[in-house]
Amino acid sequence: MPLHKYPPKIWEALKMKQGIYTRLPKHYLKSLEPKQPRPVHWRPLGVQYRANPNTGLKERVQDIPIPVYYPPESQDGLWGGEGWVSGFRYSNNDKMSKRLKKIWKPQLFSRELYSEILDHKFTISVTARTLDLIDAAFGFDFYILKTPKEDLNSKLGMDLKRAMLLRLARRTTELYPNDPAKRESIYNKYKQFEIPEEEAEWVGLTLDEAVEKQRQLEYKEPEPLFKVCVEKLVKELEMQKLLEPHVMEKK
Amino acid sequence: MWSSGRRVLQDLLRQPAVRSLSLSPVQHTVIVERWWQVPLSRVGSPPRLHPRRHKIFKLVEDTKHSSKEDMELILTQTVPRLGGRGDTVFVKKSIGRNKLLAQGLAVYPSPENKHMFAEELRILREGRPEDRIQTRTGQLTVNFLKSSKLEINKTLSDEFQLTKEVVCRQLERKLGVVAPLQALNLPFEPIKELGDYWCEVTVNGLETVRIPMSLLPYEDPSTIRQQADEAEAGEGSESQASTSADAQTSHDSTAPPSERPDKD
Repeated sequence: MPLHKYPPKIWEALKMKQGIYTRLPKHYLKSLEPKQPRPVHWRPLGVQYRANPNTGLKERVQDIPIPVYYPPESQDGLWGGEGWVSGFRYSNNDKMSKRLKKIWKPQLFSRELYSEILDHKFTISVTARTLDLIDAAFGFDFYILKTPKEDLNSKLGMDLKRAMLLRLARRTTELYPNDPAKRESIYNKYKQFEIPEEEAEWVGLTLDEAVEKQRQLEYKEPEPLFKVCVEKLVKELEMQKLLEPHVMEKK
Repeated sequence: MWSSGRRVLQDLLRQPAVRSLSLSPVQHTVIVERWWQVPLSRVGSPPRLHPRRHKIFKLVEDTKHSSKEDMELILTQTVPRLGGRGDTVFVKKSIGRNKLLAQGLAVYPSPENKHMFAEELRILREGRPEDRIQTRTGQLTVNFLKSSKLEINKTLSDEFQLTKEVVCRQLERKLGVVAPLQALNLPFEPIKELGDYWCEVTVNGLETVRIPMSLLPYEDPSTIRQQADEAEAGEGSESQASTSADAQTSHDSTAPPSERPDKD
């Protein structure tokens, strides 16, 4: 058993402190910090202390999240923070009865959702909760733009967000190029979400995508060795020439 | 097989169809909680979860089965049975999403939209007369008033006279129309003799409708009811005899008390 300098468990964390990872933009690195999503499948108490329902005495309480599994399909749809709750239940809801394996899964619908900014209809698998959230946000675009990454919890959603933010940033060329009146009204509606184009390009990228993007930004054509040698030779010859005729002319 | 009374009862009361349904995977939003209470951990340290017990959950609520709430929308066009432009309506979510929003008949009640439509309605109400147009409900009221006729029975008292207030009350009682006094115009005020007259009602301060109005002699309420019953009985026998005179019979049944005195 080899003894490593650092335990393998922290290799992932150490990776971020060296090489190309350190050169990623600040705002992107900040977006990678893990955040607690809003509770979907459980009800938090939301308080530190409460009166005990039986005794009436003050007691400290804790909110302990229920672990939710997000299957890969959830990244291709908009599940509104829902996922699979896998665990056990008691048969007949009786604590003395048998313990049975149980997975609670969300019901999915396929719905056509229209985005005003992108001017396109998307057929997306959604849950009833997503539709309610869209209504609460007063529209599909508002829902995508307002909801933070940890609540959206979907690669598709973040891709849509990046596309929308890029449209807003490049509004003169891409946002309704043939309809200036419509462009103006749409831009005024979603003006509050506008961010600079350099930042918008990085929104919602995975770490691998971001590293690839950074690599392409830093990439330079390799210089052939013979060009370097030729330059060096030319310089040497020039030096020689400068030195020699000086002496010759004086004679 | 039936070793205890409980088993017997369970076997007898078991409903196979329901049971098989409950075994099929449930697929909707759920809210769960733990069966076993998690012990308190120190502040700042992670909770100590039991590997088996704390994975056992109890279904608290399934939002699929909770009561469906209506959704609020603002109409952008006239929709039959719902309302006209600028009306705030509460509809079922399916209708709102799949019909009204999908076809552009309505918009979300966001603060900007609400402000915009409130401004539009304000202009409609307070703007210059040439800008103002009759609302959809106003148009419906006008159409109803054009086709209606007001019949007023005299009371027993000697000093009876038909004034604006009386007409206003009768409009509400007979036709179900609430007309404020300033919207009502009675040219022959006060009226004491029997006969046919007319009054004018202005709807939303825009359109004026002339309603024919007739003052009829006093009738005892009990005789009115009796006549109505007779008319109904007659209508039943008539409908068996002839179906062609449908309009005639319905007219008779709706307004027998007012028709009789005219003939007299």
